Amino acid sequence: MPALRELQTLFKASLLAGEEEAVIQQIEGDGLDPRARLAVYRHHILTTLTAVLESAYPVVCRLVDRRFFAYAADAFIRRHPPAGPCLAEYGAAFPDFLAGFPACDGHPYLPDVARLEWAIHRASQNPQAEPLDHARLRSVDPADMPRLTFAMDPSLSLLASPWPVDRIWRAHQDGGELTEPVDLGVGGVCLEVRAAGESVTLHTLEAATYAFRDALARGLTLGQAASLALESHPFFDLTEGIQELLEQSLFNNFTITTEEGG
Amino acid sequence: MTRQRGFPSRAGIGLRAPHVDELLATRPAVPWLEVHPENYMGGGAALASLESVRDEYALALHGVGLSLGTAGTIDQQHLARLKALMDRIEPCLVSEHLSWSSTGSAYLNHLLPLPYTEESLSVVAGHIHEVQGVLGRRILIENPSSYLRFRHSTIQEPEFLAELVRRTGCGLLCDVNNIYVTAWNLGLDAVAYLEALPVDAIGEIHLAGHAENDADGRPILIDDHGSPVAAPVWKLYERALDRFGPVPTLIEWDTDIPALAVLLGEARIANGLMETAARREDHARAA
Repeated sequence: MPALRELQTLFKASLLAGEEEAVIQQIEGDGLDPRARLAVYRHHILTTLTAVLESAYPVVCRLVDRRFFAYAADAFIRRHPPAGPCLAEYGAAFPDFLAGFPACDGHPYLPDVARLEWAIHRASQNPQAEPLDHARLRSVDPADMPRLTFAMDPSLSLLASPWPVDRIWRAHQDGGELTEPVDLGVGGVCLEVRAAGESVTLHTLEAATYAFRDALARGLTLGQAASLALESHPFFDLTEGIQELLEQSLFNNFTITTEEGG
Repeated sequence: MTRQRGFPSRAGIGLRAPHVDELLATRPAVPWLEVHPENYMGGGAALASLESVRDEYALALHGVGLSLGTAGTIDQQHLARLKALMDRIEPCLVSEHLSWSSTGSAYLNHLLPLPYTEESLSVVAGHIHEVQGVLGRRILIENPSSYLRFRHSTIQEPEFLAELVRRTGCGLLCDVNNIYVTAWNLGLDAVAYLEALPVDAIGEIHLAGHAENDADGRPILIDDHGSPVAAPVWKLYERALDRFGPVPTLIEWDTDIPALAVLLGEARIANGLMETAARREDHARAA
């Protein structure tokens, strides 16, 4: 008789990895094949979690058709089951999974569409935080400015893709008439997704602005972010870049780091 | 007694997202509502709408994510989020399940079956004790619907529940549909199950529909909460009322969710049966 911990480990393997034999030995048949009894649990887990992924990734689901989506979701769930019970938070790893899923090779833009959908899903879950009092930033000694790091709006996601994923996404919104197919040849896009009240906004950014904000979101200092923005475009206007951070309430706190970093 | 002062022994409904707007717009006369706390832990618009509901109706929190039967530790972050939501909503009842869902780092989205052994008893009792300590209140434990049982179980499920009550002071949420489904699937006697539950611990009853699936040419009942309460479950509910007296009763519906009015109709049937059972009790006392 296995200890409870061992039984639960075996049970999980039987549900997700199909390794049933060890658990089958422990189940009373009561007139039925124990495999049929286990299958009831497996079916529920896979169908409910597939529905969770479908609701977070509706455009991916429409792009590949529902049966293929269910096939990909099945493989994803078995490899990456949820870590906790709040299922609105489940599925962050799905875009990376799709990128490595050989059956998706014919749709190279699919992982980036999925990343955009996750950003939108995340923004809808995370309301915009309280904006910072502008006076606090003005009180910083100018000499300390390059060493500032920012806590960005928690609903914010930044996303760069070599594909026009915003056009693909918009073309598949309910009610949005797909007047002509999306031309993949128009090239990539830099996007900013964030909560605005109870809705979610989607903006395209200039490459330099994207580089600037993306660096700050990754926790780099203002000095480092400015260098990256200037590398992206030599005429990037830093004053305007900072002004926009304030006007658009893109961050809700900042700290002065001790070192400027490399 | 688990039953709360001022909390009505009448039938409420499980509140699901598609009904929230209609409920707030029409304010139907339903004595209480129940929600899954996991759906509101992210805050945002969902929590704001729940707070509007809370202003008008008594609310119960019915958790599905604590995994009280896990051999490992209780997810502390989840418990803290439950406590925060509880403090904000001030529910009239808090309940969870006799089951497990988490093992290692994986949360398997189902109420999975436990072997009923002394080891499981001590694991679940320890976790209930911990949860009640953190929440600062008694919780109700619901009997699961089962599709299998383990060979090495040594305790019957109702006795297992009764022992949890004795060890932890928790109450019980008697899901009458689950008793019916489990009894059918495992070849048990549903009435005998009901008779073995400790009367004084019953703080709430659940009712729901189930589906019948074919497993190897034999019907197996699936607790899918996707249809009206079945006739034999209403009958078992009447037996439960005769044994427990009127108890706050809840109609659950989670798949193929119908119009709000359909759920309210099911609640009216439950209220009718509760009134009839109360009259039967009065007559018996008078005779």
